[in-house]
Amino acid sequence: MNVNTEKTLETKRAPGLTGAWRGFTTALGHVGVSPLGLALFILVALLPLIPPFDQEHILRWLIMGAFLGAQAVAFDFTGGYINVVNFGFAAVLGLGSYTSAILSNELGIVAIHPGWSPWITIWIGALVAGMFGFFLGWLTLRLRGIYAAVMAWFVGIALMGLATNLTDITRGSLGFSPRPLIETTANLPYYYTILAMLALTYVVLRLVTKSHLGLAFQCIGQNIDAARASGINPTRYRIINFTLSCTFAGLLGGFYAHYIGSLTPKTVMHTSKTVEVLALAYIGGRGSLWGGIVTAFPFVFFIEYLRSNLSELPGLHMVIYGVLMILMMIFYPDGLSGLYRWAVEKIKSRSKGE
Amino acid sequence: MEEMKDDPSFWESLLLSIKTKRATWLVILLTLALAVVTGVVAGPSQLANTIVAGGMWALMAVGLALVFGVMNICHFAHGESFMVGAYVAYFTFTPLQNYLAENPNTFLSTIAPLVSMIVALPAGFILGVIIEKLVFYPLRIRTRRGWVMNAFLLTVGISFVMTNGTMLVLGPNFRGIPRYWEVEPLEFLGVRLTLDRIVAFVVAVISIVSLWLFLQRTRMGRAIRAVSQDETGAEMVGINVNGIHTLTFALATALATLAGASLLFMFPAYPTVGLKPLYIAWYVVMLVGLGNVAGSIAGGFIVAVLQTFTQQFIGVAWEDVVPVAIMILVLLFVPSGIFGSEVKGVQEQ
Repeated sequence: MNVNTEKTLETKRAPGLTGAWRGFTTALGHVGVSPLGLALFILVALLPLIPPFDQEHILRWLIMGAFLGAQAVAFDFTGGYINVVNFGFAAVLGLGSYTSAILSNELGIVAIHPGWSPWITIWIGALVAGMFGFFLGWLTLRLRGIYAAVMAWFVGIALMGLATNLTDITRGSLGFSPRPLIETTANLPYYYTILAMLALTYVVLRLVTKSHLGLAFQCIGQNIDAARASGINPTRYRIINFTLSCTFAGLLGGFYAHYIGSLTPKTVMHTSKTVEVLALAYIGGRGSLWGGIVTAFPFVFFIEYLRSNLSELPGLHMVIYGVLMILMMIFYPDGLSGLYRWAVEKIKSRSKGE
Repeated sequence: MEEMKDDPSFWESLLLSIKTKRATWLVILLTLALAVVTGVVAGPSQLANTIVAGGMWALMAVGLALVFGVMNICHFAHGESFMVGAYVAYFTFTPLQNYLAENPNTFLSTIAPLVSMIVALPAGFILGVIIEKLVFYPLRIRTRRGWVMNAFLLTVGISFVMTNGTMLVLGPNFRGIPRYWEVEPLEFLGVRLTLDRIVAFVVAVISIVSLWLFLQRTRMGRAIRAVSQDETGAEMVGINVNGIHTLTFALATALATLAGASLLFMFPAYPTVGLKPLYIAWYVVMLVGLGNVAGSIAGGFIVAVLQTFTQQFIGVAWEDVVPVAIMILVLLFVPSGIFGSEVKGVQEQ
C-alpha cells in the first residue's frame, strides 16, 4: 500500500514534465524505486569520489552501511511482511559466510579445501542459506508469531553451536580466514560490489512484494485466519518468504566473509547481530523495505563517529542505539517510512488546498 | 489435582492422561530414563548436581512463565536481571568478605552470603518496577495492537541497553568469587556436594514454594491469577490491573536476580553473563508451554537432565546443541509445549 501511494504521488507530480520523464518514472516505479530513491542511490554511489569521503576508513563505513542496509531489507522482507521475526537471521547469514569461505578455501588448515573462486562460491553459499531458509520455514510453519520467532532463534543457536564445534572444517572460535573476493587492498571495488548486491536485494524483493505474492504475505502478516479463509495457504507463502529472505542473507554473508577476511561464529552468527539488523529495520519502518537502507548509512556514520570520539567510553554508542530503538518502538512504531508517508500526505493535502 | 476430584479413580485419570498426552509422557519417561542412565554411569554426584541445576533453571523459568502468563510479554531481558543479581551479590559480598578478613567473626561469615542474596531480592524488585513503569506501561497505554511482538522486541531493546550499559559503567571484567562458604564439600551416600550448591538449591525451592503459596493463598496472588485469565474481567471486579502488571514484572525480576545472586560462585558477574541462563529458561518455557508456571518447574529439571546427559556422553561443547535439537523435535510434534499452554495471548499474531 505504501508502494501504491508513492507511485500515484510520482505520477501526479509528473504532469508538467515531458512524456519521457513520465515514462522513466513509471519504469522506475515498476521496480519499486522512486526518483528520489534513485537520486539518493546515485549520490551514495558517487560519494567515494567526493573529497571528504574518499578516505579509506570512510569507505569502510560506507561498505558497512550498505551491508547493514541490505541485511535490513532482507530481514524486513520477513519481519515486516509475514510478521514473523526471524531471530536466526544472523545464523543463516553466517551459514552463507561459512559455506562460501570453506568452498573457496585453498589452504590446508582445515579438512576441506576445494579452492574455488569466491565469485562462484558466494552464490553457492546463498543457495545453501536459501535451502536452510526453506527448512526453517518448514520447521516453523505450524507455529505462530512469537513461537516461530523463538523457534528460529533456537535453530540459530543450534547452528552457531555447530559452527563452533565442527572445528575440523570451520576452526571454531579460533577463526577462519576466507580468501579475499578481489585481490586488492583498496576498498572501492568492494564498495561497488556491495552496492550492486544492495540494489539486487532491494529490487528483487521489491518486485516480489509488488506481485500477488506480496499481497499474500501481507494478508498472512495481518491476520492468518482471515488469510486462510480467503484461500491463501499460509504454509506455502511462509516457506517462499523464508527461502527468499535467507537466500539474500546467505549472499550478503558470503560478501562479508570475503571482504572482512576473518570469521568466527561469534562475530557473524551471534544473536546480537540479529538484534542490530532488527533495530535498523524497525527504526527504518516495518514493511517498507527501503527504511532500513536509509537508516543504515547515517547510523553507521553516527556510530563510528561516536566510537572514534568517545573511545574512553566503550559501548556508549550501543546504549544510545538501544535507547533510540526502545523510544521508537514505544512512541513512534511506524518508523522512518511512517514519517515519510506522513510528510508526503501533508504536502499533498496542502497542495490540494491551494 | 482437579482431575482427581472429577474422576472416581486416580489411576483411571492417569491412564486417560497417558492415552491423550502421549508426547508429554514420552518426554517425562525419556527424561527419567536418561536421569537413571546418568546416575548409574556417571555416579550419583552428577545426578545431585543435575538436581541442583534443575532447581535454578526452574527458578529462572518460573519468572519467565509468570511474566508471559500475566502480561503476555516474551521476556528476552530476563537474563539481564540475572546479571544484575550477580553484580549486586558481588558488590555486597566482597566488602563484607574484606571486612571479615580483618575482623574474623564466625557468625557473620556464615550469614554474609545470605545477606548478599537477600539484598538482591529488593534490588530486583525495584529494577522490575522501574522497567515496567518506564517501558511497558507507556506502550500499554498507547496501543495494545500487536502487543506480543512489540513487547518482545522492547525486551530485546532493554537487554541490549542493559548489557551495553553495564559494559560502559563496569567494563567487561569478570567479577566472581570462588565460593561463598569456606567449608569442605559435604558428603553423604557417596555424594559430594559443596555447601554453595546445596544452599542454591534450597533457595530455589523456598522461593518457588513461597511464590506458589503467594499465588494460591493470598488476595494479591488471586488477583494476579485473575488478570492472567481475563484482564477485562479482572478490571470489572475492581482489580487494579496496572498495579498487578507492575507487581508481576517486579516479582519475576526479583526471582531472576535471586537466581543470579545465589549462583555467583558458578557464573561470575560480567555484562553478558545472563545469556546462558536466558537460553536455558527459554528452552524450559518453550518445552513445557509458554506461560505454564507449574510446568516450568518440571521443565527446569528435564532440561537439566538433558544437559548433564549431553555433557557426560557427547561432549561439553555440545551442551547447547543437543537440548535445542530435542526441543525443536518436541515442538514439531506438540507446538504448544508438552504440558500445554492455555494463555490468552499465545495465538495472537
